[in-house]
Parts: sequence; C-alpha cells; structure tokens
Amino acid sequence: MSVRKFKKVLVANRGEIAVRIMQGLQEMGIEAIAVYSDVDRTALHVLMADEAVAIGSAPATESYLVGEKIIAAALKTGAEGIHPGYGFLAENGPFAQAVEDAGLVFIGPKAETMALMGDKLSARRKMRASGVPVVPGTDEAVSDPDIATGIADEIGYPVLLKAAAGGGGKGMRIVRGASEMASALRQTMGEARNSFGNDAVFVEKYIEDPKHIEVQVLGDGQGQAIHVFERECSVQRRHQKVIEESPSPSLSPELREEICQAAVRTAEAVSYRGAGTVEFILTPGGEFYFLEMNTRLQVEHPVTELVTGTDLVRAMVRIAQGEGLCYRQEQLEQRGWALEFRLYAEDPGRGFAPSIGRILSLTAPHGPGVRLDTGVYEGFDVPIHYDPMLAKLIVWGEDREQAIARSLRALREFVLHGPVHNLPFHIWALQQPAFMDGSYTTHFVENEFDPDNYLPELSENQSQALVAAAALFEALRRAESEVSPAENRKCPASNWRRNALRRMTNNQ
Amino acid sequence: MWMKKNYALNCEGNLHHSIVARQGGRVRVQISEDSEPVDVDFQPVLGGKAVSVRVGGRLHLIHLTGTNSKGAVSASLDGRPVQLTVMDELRAQALESMGDVAGGGTITADIPGLVVELRASVGQKVHQGEPVIVVEAMKMQNELAAAVSGTVTEIPVTEGQSVNPGDVLVIIEPEPGG
Repeated sequence: MSVRKFKKVLVANRGEIAVRIMQGLQEMGIEAIAVYSDVDRTALHVLMADEAVAIGSAPATESYLVGEKIIAAALKTGAEGIHPGYGFLAENGPFAQAVEDAGLVFIGPKAETMALMGDKLSARRKMRASGVPVVPGTDEAVSDPDIATGIADEIGYPVLLKAAAGGGGKGMRIVRGASEMASALRQTMGEARNSFGNDAVFVEKYIEDPKHIEVQVLGDGQGQAIHVFERECSVQRRHQKVIEESPSPSLSPELREEICQAAVRTAEAVSYRGAGTVEFILTPGGEFYFLEMNTRLQVEHPVTELVTGTDLVRAMVRIAQGEGLCYRQEQLEQRGWALEFRLYAEDPGRGFAPSIGRILSLTAPHGPGVRLDTGVYEGFDVPIHYDPMLAKLIVWGEDREQAIARSLRALREFVLHGPVHNLPFHIWALQQPAFMDGSYTTHFVENEFDPDNYLPELSENQSQALVAAAALFEALRRAESEVSPAENRKCPASNWRRNALRRMTNNQ
Repeated sequence: MWMKKNYALNCEGNLHHSIVARQGGRVRVQISEDSEPVDVDFQPVLGGKAVSVRVGGRLHLIHLTGTNSKGAVSASLDGRPVQLTVMDELRAQALESMGDVAGGGTITADIPGLVVELRASVGQKVHQGEPVIVVEAMKMQNELAAAVSGTVTEIPVTEGQSVNPGDVLVIIEPEPGG
C-alpha cells in the first residue's frame, strides 16, 4: 500500500476531543479543519482550527450528525481525510462509506467493520463464532415487553436492556423485575431512537459486581493487529465512565496476557484498521466476557498514551496514510500508572443532573505528571445541546500510589466556577478505601457515594477565612459598583478596580 | 479610628452576622457578633478572581466569583466548593420579607432541557406518580410524574421546546382531598 501524506484533515467533532485531534494534526504539520454549529462559533475547537466551516443549527441532528454537510465541508476546504473523534458519526458505517465514496480517507476502521461491531447483536454473533466468550443473552432484537419478560425469566433477573446501536453508556437500563420491564423497554427504545436513530434493543444477563476492563488495539486493516495494553474503567455512574486507569489493578500478569491476546484475536478476526477498543467484563471469579468493540478513539485513550509513551491520534493518522502499524508489539510496555478524571458539568449532590452556564472562572492545574485535555475556557458558555463533558484531567505517576497522591494535588488546584461540576466527586472517590486498594467494581458509586455527605468538613480556620473573604469581597464589590457612571466612563474598569483594591487594602 | 460595617452571611447553611472593621491597612473580622475580632491579612490576587487570606497564621487561597445581585458567591478552596451568600445588613433586611410561591400540582423543570413528549393534555385526569411529560437533557430522557392526583389545567410548553430550570411545564389542579 502506498503512503499518501495528508496536508489537511477535517475533524468532524467538537469539544475536548476535537481540540486534542487538532493538536495532534498540527504537530504533524497537517492543517486542521473544524466544523461547527451555530452555538459553537466561539468554541475552543473552532478558535484553534486553521479553517472552520459552519454546518447548521445547534441540535446535533442538524449539524454534527449530518454526514452530507461534513463531507461537503471537507470537499470545499480541500481536506483529504476526516477524523470523526468519538460520539456523533464516529461509529456510523454509512457515513464512513460515504466519506470513502467521496474520494476522502476516513481516519478509522472500514465501514463494514463498524457495521459488524457497531451492531452489538452481530458483534455478539461474530465473537461467539470466533470462540470469544460473550455475556449470556439474546442475539436478536426485542420490542415486545412480554417476549423480553420471557427471556429475562429464562436467564434470570436482573437483566440489562441494551440498545444494539448504543455506546457511551447511553441506551441502557437495568431491569430487576417483570413489573419494570414495559416502562424500561419503552424508555430505552425511545432513547435509542433519539440518540442513535435505531430502536433495536436486546436483553443480556446483568453481571453482579463486575469490573470493566478494556484493551486498546491498533490494526493495519490488512489482518495484522497489536494491543496497547488494558484500561480499567469501573468507576461509573449511570453506566458511564468517570474515572479510568491503566494498568488495571485487577489483573495478574497471566490474566493481562490472556485478555490482551483475546483483544488482538478480535481485531485480527475483522481485519481491524486504526485504533479500537475491545471491552470486557471481568467477574469477581476472574472470568472475562466480550462486551463490545468500540470502533473509535476512546474518551480515555490518554491514560494509555501516558503509560505506554504512545500517541494514538498520530498512530491513527499514520495508519490512514498507509504507513501501517507504527509500533511493534515487543516495543510496547507499561511504565508507571495513569488516571483519568472526566470533568462533567453535573451536580453529584443531585443525582449527577446536568448543569450548564457560563464558565466564570477557570484555573487549570499544572506541574509534574499533569495533562489537561479541555474543550472550554474562561468566559465560554457551555451549550445545552451536547454532552456535558468539559475536559479530562489525566495524571501520571511512577506507581499507583503516587498517581493517586498527585491526582489529589492536581484536583485541589483545579478551579472551575460557573456550572456545577464533579471535581469534588473525584476528590471524594480517590480517598475511598475501595478505590485506594483497587477492589472497586462498577457499583462503586451506587454503593459508596452519599450525595449529602461527600464534601470534606471545613475546619474552623477555613470557615473563618471564608467568612472574612466573603465579607471583604462584598465590601470590594459594593465599593466598585458605587462609582459614579461619569467616573466609570473616564477610567478603564481595570484601572478603577486596581484603585479600589489599593484603597481597600492600604489606604483606609 | 476603626470603620465598621455589618454583613449578613450564609456559609454552608450557617448564618453569621459579621462585622468587618478597617483602620489604615489593617482589617479585623468578627465572624459573629459574639465572637472575638481576628486580624485578617487579605490580598486580592489573580486579577480579582481569588483572595489570599491569612487567619491565625494559616494561609488560604480562596477563589470567589460573584454570581448575582442577591449576594450569591461561588467560592472554593482546595477543590471544595462552598455555598456562600453575603450582603450588607440593610439589603438583607429589605429582601427578607420576600417569600416563595409554590403549588404541589405544578411541575417545573429542574434542569435545562428539551420537551420531547407530552403524555397528558389539558382537561385530562392524572394520578399521582403517572408520567405526564418527558424532558430530554444531555441525551437522557427523564419522565416527570404528577406529584398529586387531579386534573391538568395548563401545559404552557409544547413538544420540541427548550426549557430552563424553574420553567413551569404542567399545572395540575389537585383533586379535593387527594
């Protein structure tokens, strides 16, 4: 296969992942083209792009999910390839096909692989045929509550209703008894239809106390694949990951080798091209089952990058350029420990309900071992229309203990005012015995988290400082707002503010 | 001579009547009227986004953002958000008499979202716990149920409409004795 280097690549996404991909492209000397909806003209991914194309109104169904508009933008700007990121069109087979049909390179797997793996039902059938263990359940879609109840009776409650086209934790519901089935099935199908445009839902045995282990793979599209080791993603709320780490604290070297080899076999069975992730569920007894393959770059890819010293976006681009796998399996090893914290605009104290609004104050952590992948900045209005993830903090340490200590330090330095967010949740999580000793399961949050009691107690000294700061802050604010309009016009606000500060602290 | 000013403060649900006294460059704070005044070293930093406060020999970097005219302040220290409201005593007294209007039969949005489905119509009888409206926020569909049994008298929203926290979605006239 001949090598064809890109000069321009369009990134069909928004938020932190669009920013991260564009950073990778620009480092490679490739121009990055952004697309944006009406509410995203001032979003960070647009600000840093070399060119940007408006593709429609705010709802994703009228912009980021409209393949034709994105392909047209690529053709108009002369981009040679499209990187889809995650979410939106990343695992949409017909879109990948349309990109290739338009003479462009889709930086990801082949459309047929996505069709096979993106439909969880056909993926289950394929894996079963390839001898990879799958979770007990149906291989066909179910829409009749009576039939679903019948299947659940057979495999035993609780069961999980899952959208065949689902991903990212959306379109899933646990059903603990027959009485919940009709409503749960209706809501899951509704969510599946709205989020994925496909309401096929199937029933799977719900594994109690599982751990979520996944393996990063890279394939050359010619039948050769390697793994880039595992990640553990068992800290979840609403089936959505919030903290990820690599390596997994739950794998012995033998089990790690076994699970990573199963992932390589999975990727090779479908001649996988690009970066992908094979997800497994690990039972308390040490058995693992294939859950699904995510045919995209994952949200949590940076923990793998930090622990293995790789750049997965660059690897994807190089594979798409026809350069093949950029690493040999024996070159790759895990060094140290990495943790990722997803920063969501949501309220941990109110069932993790989404929050929006303007980012009023933002101070990012720095220092050794700290990486921040962000899609926002101070003054940015977080739009209502998209996923509430604002940024990811990724921290590396020489070992797990140092990685945890360093993460606590960085999380305490991280300041975000405006939308309610989950940084305090992360600080809480890192201090729980079940997290510290690595025994946590996907039920960690529902079992351990108390929404009324997760913030640390304030010491008397801290309370005194807060009360003093608030009173003095208010005094300062009143002093500022009492300036006459005429005086305000004469002096720039910043000068006046400086004078007010000086008066307050020195001159009275 | 010390210049004193009184403030009404609510820190994490604890009410304080605090007094700030200043003389020259010195600042003293009485957290509550009956507590001892403590010396405070106070420096606005980071372009006004934070203050460095020294109390009793301990230094704290406190980030503060004023969010509305009712004195709500976003504060945080060491990664911990703190609920604060602060205003001078005169304004606090003026606002005190204002109360809330609420009704058990009124369903309001508690998060911003999109009305995706109305399950009830005006004039319809509904039972307590029955889903009457579906609001989607951040790709999650949330069924909102009637808090009381009664008759739907008003639905001021339509399917496809964006709603904000506090917006009235459905009004239900409770059944007598229901």
